[in-house]
Amino acid sequence: MGGLKKKKLWGSVSLVLALSLALAGCSGDNEKATTKDGKEVLNITAFIGTPNQAPAKDNRIYKKIQDELGVNLEMEFLVGDLQQKLGVMIAGGDFPDLITADTKLVSAGAVIPLEDLIEEHAPNLKKHFGKDWNRMKDSSDGHIYWLPNYGVYTGEFISNYYSGPAFWIQKSILKDAGYPTPKTLDDFTKLIRDYAAKNPTIDGQPTIGFTTLASDWRTFPLLNPPEHLTGHPNDGGVVVDDNGVATVFADKDISKRYYKELNNLYNEGLLDKEAFVQNYDQYLAKISSGRVLSMFDQHWNFQAGEDPLVAQGKIGQTYVGFPLVYDTSITDHYLDRPVINLNNGFGISKDAEDPVALIKFLDKLMDEKYQKLLSWGEEGVDYQVNEEGRFYRTPEQRKEQDDPAWRLVNKAEGFYAAAPKLEGTFEDGNAIGAINQPEEFYDNLKPEDKELLDAYGFKTWSDFFSPAPENPVYYPAWQVDLKEGSDAAVANKQMTDTSLKFLPKAIMSKPNEFDNIWTEYVDAYKKIDIKSYEDRINEQLKWRIENWSVK
Amino acid sequence: MLKRLRGQRQLMFMSLPIVAYILVFSYYPIWGWVMAFQNYSPAKSFTQQEWVGLKHFKFLLTDDAFLNVLRNTIAMSVINMVLGFATAIIFAILLNEIKHKFYKRTIQTISYLPHFLSWIIVTGIVASSLSVDGGIVNVVLMKLNIIQEPIMWLSVPEYFWGIVGASHVWKEVGWNAIIYLAAITSIDPSLYEAAEIDGANRYKKMLYVTLPGIKSIVIILLIMNMGWILEAGFEVQYLLGNGVVVDWSQTIDIFVLKYGLQIGNYSLATAAGIFKTVVSITLIFAANSISKRLGEDRLI
Repeated sequence: MGGLKKKKLWGSVSLVLALSLALAGCSGDNEKATTKDGKEVLNITAFIGTPNQAPAKDNRIYKKIQDELGVNLEMEFLVGDLQQKLGVMIAGGDFPDLITADTKLVSAGAVIPLEDLIEEHAPNLKKHFGKDWNRMKDSSDGHIYWLPNYGVYTGEFISNYYSGPAFWIQKSILKDAGYPTPKTLDDFTKLIRDYAAKNPTIDGQPTIGFTTLASDWRTFPLLNPPEHLTGHPNDGGVVVDDNGVATVFADKDISKRYYKELNNLYNEGLLDKEAFVQNYDQYLAKISSGRVLSMFDQHWNFQAGEDPLVAQGKIGQTYVGFPLVYDTSITDHYLDRPVINLNNGFGISKDAEDPVALIKFLDKLMDEKYQKLLSWGEEGVDYQVNEEGRFYRTPEQRKEQDDPAWRLVNKAEGFYAAAPKLEGTFEDGNAIGAINQPEEFYDNLKPEDKELLDAYGFKTWSDFFSPAPENPVYYPAWQVDLKEGSDAAVANKQMTDTSLKFLPKAIMSKPNEFDNIWTEYVDAYKKIDIKSYEDRINEQLKWRIENWSVK
Repeated sequence: MLKRLRGQRQLMFMSLPIVAYILVFSYYPIWGWVMAFQNYSPAKSFTQQEWVGLKHFKFLLTDDAFLNVLRNTIAMSVINMVLGFATAIIFAILLNEIKHKFYKRTIQTISYLPHFLSWIIVTGIVASSLSVDGGIVNVVLMKLNIIQEPIMWLSVPEYFWGIVGASHVWKEVGWNAIIYLAAITSIDPSLYEAAEIDGANRYKKMLYVTLPGIKSIVIILLIMNMGWILEAGFEVQYLLGNGVVVDWSQTIDIFVLKYGLQIGNYSLATAAGIFKTVVSITLIFAANSISKRLGEDRLI
């Protein structure tokens, strides 16, 4: 190689080097945004375990948080399956600063214990979680890894709005039948049969009498009804007796009775034929078409399908929940006292560079000032305050809140739902969240809703349910951590798989074949190691009773 | 030897990055296979892991579900491969017979466009066309009086493999045909002329000139595809499958996802992955030696 050539080579190499340095410099400059008073903005990456739409780039609330607290949130929302996403994240060993709670992350050593951080740097959080401190400790090592997002109440507990499990029925059916109160499954199905016979199509499309969902992890609409129909609270896959002993019920007679009823509905053409084939998006789309008369679900799960109906003013096609039971001798136990939502919310990953700054940021957000910003919005823009200091919204402001597109620009819903938060009432007596402010709730009701509630003589949606009794110490069992890769976890997967395989088959069979398929189902169920699953739950319930009881 | 190396140093130098790439991304990860013989926990370091020997392989091979899964994977792969090959070759030969340039181009373009759609979109199209609620397939069959009542295609286990196979054909036939079309253009035109002089008609020419002309390409592709035989896919089955058809729809990848990644059982997932690799390698060598006996080109 000649001298000249060499020079040329070095020349181009240094040129490339200079260019790349310049480029790196540029991108570095871009990242360092500053707040108004010149402080550097802290970038916090967060993974949120629910599928949300990403907020608009110029979102007003996130902007305010950045200006005032100097924190820019870079959020990643779930796309696809959560367990798969977390599994891949763990296998790759790369985590965002804030991460959605999941027990899998604890056993992978992906999150750091929080109790010391909270004690030292986060007085607001400490105060907030104070009385649930022991419950939040992980049963395996006694550390606190998660900041639960829901279930800790301050002040008065108000629940106007019900978002838990129930049998949901369209309001127009109730109006049509003269506002009856269905108590049992039979009352309920009769209403649907009558209405569907009168209205074979809705908005030009065939009427669907009852639908259900069993897709991905959202299997509870299909699997949970039997426990509720027998007057048990929501404990997930088990019912717990008075002695605190949990048993699996999916293959028992209490379940058979419910699925037999679905089988009847199916053979009458009232059950959605595609109920077991549809995925979550199809389910929501079907609900938003307004032609689904009823289903069993939890309100938060189908809310997104109801929103478009509200936005279009089709209030008659939105839903009221009823606490059905098998027969009137059973007291319904749908409504429960708020429990802290363990194994939910946020944790701080081991990759976080500055955990102290993170916990301080979350702590600042627990300040009433920011809680008001996150739940109500900005005073004068999103809500008004009257002479008595009560918060309310003008009709225009309420209308804005109904519009999903507006909310993406003007609310920080994605983050707020996952973050720890105040619930109940503020110190000034206003409810946290407009939906829980009694007068605001009532004023915000659509005329159709007022008419309906007046007809029943109720003030809120929760009035349809029996008042919640005191929760047992261990409640709820569905929050038990089965331990990653354990026999109990494998058994749980196999149980769900077996149910999802046989139940649709049984429900979609001819009436005279139902019993045979049910026997097959029970036989297949027996082959699973149910005992290891029950044992793990019972062992944990016992542990809770010992450690959580007030002594 | 050294002299030869020096003589080819430019060549050696150029191949270095590729070799490094393969070492880093294809060979280094094999180290992770040791996980299959442990009860792997991401929180512990290598020395702290618990060794369990062949436990995970035993679980796989004695589990009824896994044997079903293996059957489904192989069956759907074979269906996809055979259908994919046959339709692509037939399509290419037929397309070659169209002499009108504009028609030929248009047909070819339309046929390969679906290749660029992602499976999530394709399965969406498939699911809505097979719907009982006004899906096009049921509507057409009803109008033609072939069936009396809409069929719920996606909830009959026995139809599942067929639906997956048909979806693959719809998506890939045009794309797969491209390589055969290219091969056909390289056939010496004088062969056709000779055949014509000998009195061969159109079909005879297809059968005795075109088909033998692309035979070597077909064999090479077949061997290469053998390596993918256990890759029946994940997306289609995951997106179209549901509880009712699980016995027929679950493939190895879905099993690994459900019983490995989702419940944090990484060792089991790795064991299933190793199993898949070993079977694939065996199949590729088998195909290669069969090809050798047929006196055709070989890959390895």
